Amino acid sequence: MGLPDASGDLSSEMEVDAFRRLFPLRYFERHLSESIRPDARPLGRARDTTLALGAVASAHGSALAKIGSTTMLAAIKMEVMTPSTESPDEGSIAIDFHMPPICSPIVRPGRPAEAAPVISKQLSDTISSSGMINLKELSLVSGKAAWMAYLDIYCLDADGALFDAALLSAVAAFSHLQIPIVSLNDDGKIELISEEDDGAKLEVEPVNKEKRKLTLSGIPFSLTCILHKNYILADPTAEEESIMETAVTVVLDSSSRLVSFYKPGGPVLAHTSAVQDCVALTRQRVKELQNILDETLSGMEID
Amino acid sequence: MAAQGGAAPSTYTPTPTKKTQRSPFFSDSDVDWLRPDGRGFHQCRAAFFRTGAVNSAAGSAYAEFGNTKVIVSVFGPRESKKAMVYSDVGRLNCNVSYTTFANPARGLGSDNKEFSSMLHKALEGAIMLETFPKTTVDVFALVLESGGSDLPVVISCASLALADAGIMMYDLVAGVSVSCLGRNLIIDPILEEESFQDGSMMITCMPSRYEVTQLTITGEWSTAKLNEAMQLCLDACSKLDKIMRACLEEAASASQD
Repeated sequence: MGLPDASGDLSSEMEVDAFRRLFPLRYFERHLSESIRPDARPLGRARDTTLALGAVASAHGSALAKIGSTTMLAAIKMEVMTPSTESPDEGSIAIDFHMPPICSPIVRPGRPAEAAPVISKQLSDTISSSGMINLKELSLVSGKAAWMAYLDIYCLDADGALFDAALLSAVAAFSHLQIPIVSLNDDGKIELISEEDDGAKLEVEPVNKEKRKLTLSGIPFSLTCILHKNYILADPTAEEESIMETAVTVVLDSSSRLVSFYKPGGPVLAHTSAVQDCVALTRQRVKELQNILDETLSGMEID
Repeated sequence: MAAQGGAAPSTYTPTPTKKTQRSPFFSDSDVDWLRPDGRGFHQCRAAFFRTGAVNSAAGSAYAEFGNTKVIVSVFGPRESKKAMVYSDVGRLNCNVSYTTFANPARGLGSDNKEFSSMLHKALEGAIMLETFPKTTVDVFALVLESGGSDLPVVISCASLALADAGIMMYDLVAGVSVSCLGRNLIIDPILEEESFQDGSMMITCMPSRYEVTQLTITGEWSTAKLNEAMQLCLDACSKLDKIMRACLEEAASASQD
């Protein structure tokens, strides 16, 4: 650690950009001591967040979520499958998170990003354990047919807090999901009824006339914080994540119950007070995110 | 997606060829195919471009032609792979991949090797490779939704992303494809039309220099049809080029404010 002292002397005569590149940690700590971040945010504030529903025309439900410049595109496609014998009246959900090479300079074609399968697993765990989706609603004919919901999330721009943005896009895609109408044909097989002849001829009885939308209960939202010394930085950018390594992700549901808590190691050990502060920040953030989701959904209904 | 913002997308429909004895193009008996989206045979879909779609890339662009939606990111010039031998000129590395929901039936979302190499060949001639010796420029494309004419859209979008990244080029590259269906030529075909086509032609060119960087022809064509299709493509390319330039000018003037 001989460098920081040298940087202290140099900082007065160096250009800001050069200083940022050569001594990134020093550069950030200078800001943190003034309770501000290089992008002019206070430590506890998340970046601007936007949601758009129905971005993918070919999917049954889709959403585009943006937190700062981190962008996620989530799309759900529904397929009919035979349910497993253990749970004959339940459908299932398959979640896949992708980081294509377009999203970040560190991802190259043929060499998938390490972060992608980790986030994929976290998302599946969070969504299944939050109980947001009642899998029984995805059942069509008990023991014979049920829905398989394929949720694919693509990271279009990776700039930190990937899990938060991915979860938000996933939740929004599920609330936008419109389950296709199906009917039982003479052979006892499930058939899709196309939208065009929906009103024209309905001699075949649709199996799922009412259940076109899922009832989502206890929607999970998350916030990732970076712990560095005594500072807690909410919603880090990619640059902040690369410099300060200890991240804590808290997932709460809409009634502020704790769903998941991730602290995958890192050099900083979290004290009880730091954990409590992270949860408190997340609680605020959940309210913000809930509002954004509600507004986006009500905006859809007006259209 | 991004189409909500900004001005209405402009179109790049080519002007009908001048030969008077052939007009009108389609007499009633000629028309045995109605385009599913109600376009005329020689009418292109509205083209929408926006640069700067991906912040973490050196340059990027988003393109939306009807249901065809693609994002292209450009990284570099950056260090070539260690295994590469020394090279006086820069390298170009291209990759085109599809999302799992790009096609109506859920796919695997894999790399498209053929399109990757076609993209490379279409751009190679337009880039001044000698301006970045020893290094590599990566051009990565992701087809979010495939709605037909994917490759020409990817190529046009990639040249815009390269311009956004400040990579030196002789000219922008615009790509247009034409399908031959029976007696008819239809420009900028959608997915459904591509699946019925008897032949297809794609031209990518540098419109200001009037130079073709790539020309692919498949299927059965008569010489007359080929000539007509080529004229159509070149004319549409030069109009597409104007839309692309307008997009760059808009981005440049926005960054000045």
